[in-house]
Amino acid sequence: MLYDIFIDPFVQMYDMPDFFLQVLWEGFVAGILYALIALGFVLIFKASGVFNFAQGIMVVFAGLTLVGLNENGIPAYLALALTIVAMGVLAYGVERVVMRPLVNQPDIILLMATIGLTYFLIGFGEFVFGGEPKQMITEQLGLPTGSTAIEMGERGLIILQHIDIAAAVIAVIMVTALGIFFNKTRIGRALRAVADDHQAALSVGISLNQIWAIVWFAAGLVALATGIMWGARSDVSFALEIVAFKALPVLILGGFTSIPGAIVGGLIIGFGEKIGELYWGGLVGGGIESWLAYIIALIFLLFRPQGLFGERIIERI
Amino acid sequence: MFYREAGQFKTSYKADQALMPILQDRVGLTVILLIAFVAIPAFANDFFLTSIMIPFLVFSLAAIGLNVLTGFCGQLSLGTGAFMGVGAYAAYKLTTIFPDANVIVMVLLSGIFSAAIGAVFGLPSLRIKGLYLAVTTLAAQFFLEWCFIRIPWLYNYNASGAIEVPHREAFGVVVSGAEATPIVRYFIVLCITVAIAYLMANVLRGRIGRSWMMIRDMDIAAELMGIRPLQTKLMAFAVSSYICGVAGAMMVFFWLNAAEPSSYSISLSFQILFMVILGGLGSLGGAFMGAAFIWILPVFLKFIPGTLGIDVAAETVEHVTFMIVGALIIFFLIVEPHGFARLWQIGKQKLRVWPFPY
Amino acid sequence: MNAFVTDKTLAPAGELEPAEREELLRVDNVSLSFGGVKAITDISFDILKGEIRAIIGPNGAGKTSMLNVINGFYHPQEGTITWRGKVRRKMKPYEAASQGIARTFQNVALFKGMTTLDNIMSGRSLKMHRNFFWQVLWRGPAENEEIEHRRKVEDIIDFLEIQAIRKTPVGRLPYGLQKRVELGRALAMEPELLLLDEPMAGMNLEEKEDMSRFIVDVNQEFGTTIALIEHDMGVVMDLSDRVVVLDYGKKIADGPPEEVQASQAVIDAYLGVSH
Repeated sequence: MLYDIFIDPFVQMYDMPDFFLQVLWEGFVAGILYALIALGFVLIFKASGVFNFAQGIMVVFAGLTLVGLNENGIPAYLALALTIVAMGVLAYGVERVVMRPLVNQPDIILLMATIGLTYFLIGFGEFVFGGEPKQMITEQLGLPTGSTAIEMGERGLIILQHIDIAAAVIAVIMVTALGIFFNKTRIGRALRAVADDHQAALSVGISLNQIWAIVWFAAGLVALATGIMWGARSDVSFALEIVAFKALPVLILGGFTSIPGAIVGGLIIGFGEKIGELYWGGLVGGGIESWLAYIIALIFLLFRPQGLFGERIIERI
Repeated sequence: MFYREAGQFKTSYKADQALMPILQDRVGLTVILLIAFVAIPAFANDFFLTSIMIPFLVFSLAAIGLNVLTGFCGQLSLGTGAFMGVGAYAAYKLTTIFPDANVIVMVLLSGIFSAAIGAVFGLPSLRIKGLYLAVTTLAAQFFLEWCFIRIPWLYNYNASGAIEVPHREAFGVVVSGAEATPIVRYFIVLCITVAIAYLMANVLRGRIGRSWMMIRDMDIAAELMGIRPLQTKLMAFAVSSYICGVAGAMMVFFWLNAAEPSSYSISLSFQILFMVILGGLGSLGGAFMGAAFIWILPVFLKFIPGTLGIDVAAETVEHVTFMIVGALIIFFLIVEPHGFARLWQIGKQKLRVWPFPY
Repeated sequence: MNAFVTDKTLAPAGELEPAEREELLRVDNVSLSFGGVKAITDISFDILKGEIRAIIGPNGAGKTSMLNVINGFYHPQEGTITWRGKVRRKMKPYEAASQGIARTFQNVALFKGMTTLDNIMSGRSLKMHRNFFWQVLWRGPAENEEIEHRRKVEDIIDFLEIQAIRKTPVGRLPYGLQKRVELGRALAMEPELLLLDEPMAGMNLEEKEDMSRFIVDVNQEFGTTIALIEHDMGVVMDLSDRVVVLDYGKKIADGPPEEVQASQAVIDAYLGVSH
């Protein structure tokens, strides 16, 4: 028993390096996607202090809209443009209808409101596009398909899906762009001011409404990118919603306000989950992927309650 | 005018700290209890009992459980569904192991198991606070759900993977299983819910309830006043999980007859959380109001198209229901973030000063 | 030290000469730092039974940190604290509370969701013992215990003259009253040592006068030892028996008010000095 837990998995890793590398790659890709979802959360949290539970559903919603429009005969790129417009409308609507009346409410109320929004979007999405899973229009969008096999001498080969590579590249571009946006632009500074204190930001002449609309729009774009990438790997369906919960441990590892934190957190969860499932999951009957991420986050939290990148909390009274 | 406590003088602290110091409240509660115990059983049909009243009471109890933890002790939990599941599976195993024992007692005992598990998952709350704690309870949710699927012993190695409530009698009446009549189930659920609500009201007005609220309002100050944070929080976790566990056991024994792991999924957790938030955090009455709103509204929505003579697919109705519930949640949060309980208080204030505006 | 059973056989401690009083708390060479920031450096002083001890100093001098160390919220890296003749090791805040140290806060730390009455009742938590099962039943022991403590709390409410706001949620009270409720909550603990962190901050003159009166009454009638932080020098000099002055985490003076007032180091610290 002890051998199975502490030694056997490592022996396996050594014996079958190709399999191990393949697992690592899977973990990496899953991690990138978690990180992308988490990124949407971070954006909104940074700018409004709202923990946006609807981010997961926004991913599905964006994907559904894109595919749904395409199914109705609209060419892929036009559908993409229209989806971006739709995310803009959604951002404006959320700001207008949900955020503005709830300014300065306690965190938990805002959290609840976004869960309400989740329900609404689920209902709306299913109402308009139907509840059944859909195929992502990967090829029409000019995204690479197919795969490359890399041989490792005599020790087997690893298969890399092109779409996964594309996902990684897009993730890197988006994170860089967002980083520049947050740190170097005027709006970025305003965003950070709003995140710190709504009232103080208002008092120096920052328009909360404008900032929120922008940030929800940015989160919508991130959601769209995530939706495309994720949809290309599996289907576009509401089952994605449960995966979006995984963003929570990711955020907790990385800290709610740190963009690099979201990436690192996503990767840790991605790697941890895949390796745990494939090497240790079998011992308890498999399927541990469903909760392993939370346990990993929990263990980290017990040692660093402020998350990986958070500052040490000094409690004051 | 209508709701006035003028002239009702308290001459002892005992009278002043009674649960309902004001006469009108006592009258109101008596009327509600009369309706629940006499009028509804006398006039309601089976559909009303099984589809509305029994689930409403079960959810009210679960909402009370979550309210103890989140509303009174300030610890956010997203694992309510799983804790209810623990109660259900524990009750199921207990009735299998002790087939002759009274099933109502088993249901009440099953809460002890979920209390223990709740306390274990409450342990990290000493170091982890706020939203961060949500990840602990999510871990509980997904881990326990996994256990319900992967440990066949829990469901007696059934091929279906579901638990089915056995036929049991107590006091010479069939109380569980498919043959149990709705009226019997209704009375059992009603009695348990009312009793636990009353007992919780006692706890919440005394030292223990106060210590929970101290932790909720300002944990540091509470600690500096001699409250042991870990003990207090664990107790809240245990009590809350006990109540949720009993509610979960009642859910399968007296309402659904059978349950799968997916019955106790994260969406159940959210449903209960909505009830608590919309009803009003930190209010027992609010738990009932929230449960009524979240459960009964969709039931009604389902019947609206039929009564209006519009033919709509069942799916569409469900989707629209989702939209409406979501929109209403946002609407009520905007109108009154403190829930129906606060609306009710405002209403009482208005009645007090009527016909003057204030 | 039951304040409200009024132990009048003992001479009020305030009338004894300092030399005759026994030592209640000693702080020896305490240093505290957060990461690289030194909040307190090598501070020693004592608090005698029955006195009003003031801790003053410019902003950021480490006064509040000092109180936090005394009631166990921060643990100093160096130095010892002797409480009633015993050196105490790492002490948790609730242990400090159970040994008779009560506290009010610079930024009012009341339980916002609770009424004035409940807030003050919460100060009795340590003295109430009925367990969960009695609480569930309520009738009988739990109810009687509640009533017994309610009596004591009502005495405090009378003493502080806040009868009218008994059932008002404290969040709705004006600042001055909140401070008063907070004092009431600390008094309900019947502490031996009462730490007051800027009890008069943000008050107008009348409120300050009221608060000063309460502090003197608490000290003289109930014999409670008080350590207070205050910026209003007039109040400090009038109320306190002895004053310790901190600046940049170091002790720069210690003694009776007149002496401290005359100290050059103190004048320099407050007025600034050209180096």
